Amino acid sequence: MAKKYTLDELLIITAAREIHDGENIILGVGLPTTAGAMAKALHAPNAILMMESGIIDFQPLVPPNHIADANACRGFSYATDLFSAFTMTYRGFVDVCFLGVAQIDKFGNVNTTVVGDYYNPKARLPGAGGAPDFLSYAKRTILTMRGGEFVNKLDYFTSPGYLDGGDSREKTGLFPKGSGPSMLLTTKGIFRFDEKTKEMHLAQVHHGVSIDSVRKDVPWDLKMAENVTETPRPTDEEIDFVRRFAPTEAVGRKMMYEMGMANAIKQAQARGK
Amino acid sequence: MTKAQNKVMSAKEAISRFVKDGDHLVIGNYTVGTCAELVFEVIRQQRKGLTLYSQSGVFDVEVLVAGGCVDKLVSTYVYRAGGKEGGSAVERALKDGKLEMEDYTNFQYNARLVAGMHGFSFMQVLEGPMVTDLFAKRSFMGENKYKVIGCPYTGKKILTVPAANPDVCIVHVQRADKFGNAQYWGALGSVAAASLASKKIIVSCEEIVEHDIIQSSPHLTLIPAYRVDAVVEVPWGAHPTEVLGYYNLDRTMYAMFFLMDMRGDSLKTWMDEWVYGCPNRQAYIDHYVASYGTGKLDAIKAKPYFSAPADYGSAYGSCWDNNGLERTMGITLEEMEKMMEERGMLNG
Repeated sequence: MAKKYTLDELLIITAAREIHDGENIILGVGLPTTAGAMAKALHAPNAILMMESGIIDFQPLVPPNHIADANACRGFSYATDLFSAFTMTYRGFVDVCFLGVAQIDKFGNVNTTVVGDYYNPKARLPGAGGAPDFLSYAKRTILTMRGGEFVNKLDYFTSPGYLDGGDSREKTGLFPKGSGPSMLLTTKGIFRFDEKTKEMHLAQVHHGVSIDSVRKDVPWDLKMAENVTETPRPTDEEIDFVRRFAPTEAVGRKMMYEMGMANAIKQAQARGK
Repeated sequence: MTKAQNKVMSAKEAISRFVKDGDHLVIGNYTVGTCAELVFEVIRQQRKGLTLYSQSGVFDVEVLVAGGCVDKLVSTYVYRAGGKEGGSAVERALKDGKLEMEDYTNFQYNARLVAGMHGFSFMQVLEGPMVTDLFAKRSFMGENKYKVIGCPYTGKKILTVPAANPDVCIVHVQRADKFGNAQYWGALGSVAAASLASKKIIVSCEEIVEHDIIQSSPHLTLIPAYRVDAVVEVPWGAHPTEVLGYYNLDRTMYAMFFLMDMRGDSLKTWMDEWVYGCPNRQAYIDHYVASYGTGKLDAIKAKPYFSAPADYGSAYGSCWDNNGLERTMGITLEEMEKMMEERGMLNG
């Protein structure tokens, strides 16, 4: 019988399957690095994993704490600086990039900067980081959203998706042909972008998720793929990899914090505190 | 001007001599290996009115802003702890109107320093973000946040950012000599650009090494001595962040910090204990060991994985061979001088 899996495991493994052998990939921390590690270990041994801090061609042994975490791997092939990491992206040497999303609109434009007014914020989110430049120049970008929201109008426009849809991105002349978001992965399903209109549609739903519950999260009339299928289930091999490589990501934040706290208290008691 | 002198001093002396109220201060480290002790010393000495540059303003920016040191912040990424109920010192200061912040992308921020490092007045950056709110919405940089020019060769529209030359850079590295030759390896990020763009540079390091070690591994030197004003030896100087080859991130301490960081009063409690309550790094480490035991530090010490040595050797180190003959002419020094005399080549 096939192994059961957590939602976090499904998201990581689904993202990993978007990576093809031989591609150059820019990874962010969390889900993307685990996805990259899994792809390289299981189906894309010749993928080159990169981080914008200038750590190029690495194979993490543990999940990196951040995008400059050389302690997470045993060496790497090329140490360059941040300037060169972005200019190589500009020149077209990055195939895939992974970015997290706080707000997204129907054409895949992204906000990661602020909730509310920029000059008088309700919540100040992390900000741009490398996202606007990567979403501009990576050949394709995989967006992930956990805890974010679909909106008609972004509170702040951090990173360019397909702008106003159609050929509006291409018409600016600023972006490489064919670049832009290729997929949005959320806790409920997978969204893809129409080739002509560039509007997102629901392509797949995760096991047990109804299409109606996806619709409820989206403030516009969400388009559907001709045949909305179920996200393919992970294999046992994939699940085993994620559990061994990134156990705290396999269980998710809630259980990690709960067990982490319990462990800290246990250790403190052992020291007699 | 060359500064070939012993620049070793304490963090207290370095910050006191080289960081002034109202300075533009740049954090030389990029996410990793934050110069924690130098940052703490700036706070302990209560510097005010700083314009702070930090590429990934996580730990460093949170404590500097909470310490009341910063009026203006230039960054690409700030931290926010704890989801919807959470918060950060930056968010609280922005809401209270005590902080102005200018947002750039990672590349643009770095490009401002690269321009500054090379003495240029601006740098071309990737034009895509021109369509975003980064370009449209500006804070204290105003019209000088970006300018668009035409490429003189292709006519293409080019996005530019102005050079940044901060007054002083504080940066932590693995090792340096007493003159200030600073060696750093790992994620190079913006370490060289942030340091070299700045007018003054304070280097803290895990250890001070003999100059000979630097000389045999110059590919690791990111900051040359002649640019450096102070060298501070601080073992565990980046804790709770990490230093490649020395120690890992202290995940428990880091998690604890961000838990406290969610609210202003709890962050103050944390800083009272770990920043104001410890006059220097030795006191901080002593306090840490007293609180948690030595086992926690031992557990994050790096196990060695040495770089293969790069051989800087060469065939000979003198123009004269073992027999005292000059390698090209095949004569001794005495013979050479005699011939110069005979040929009437010598004056004076």
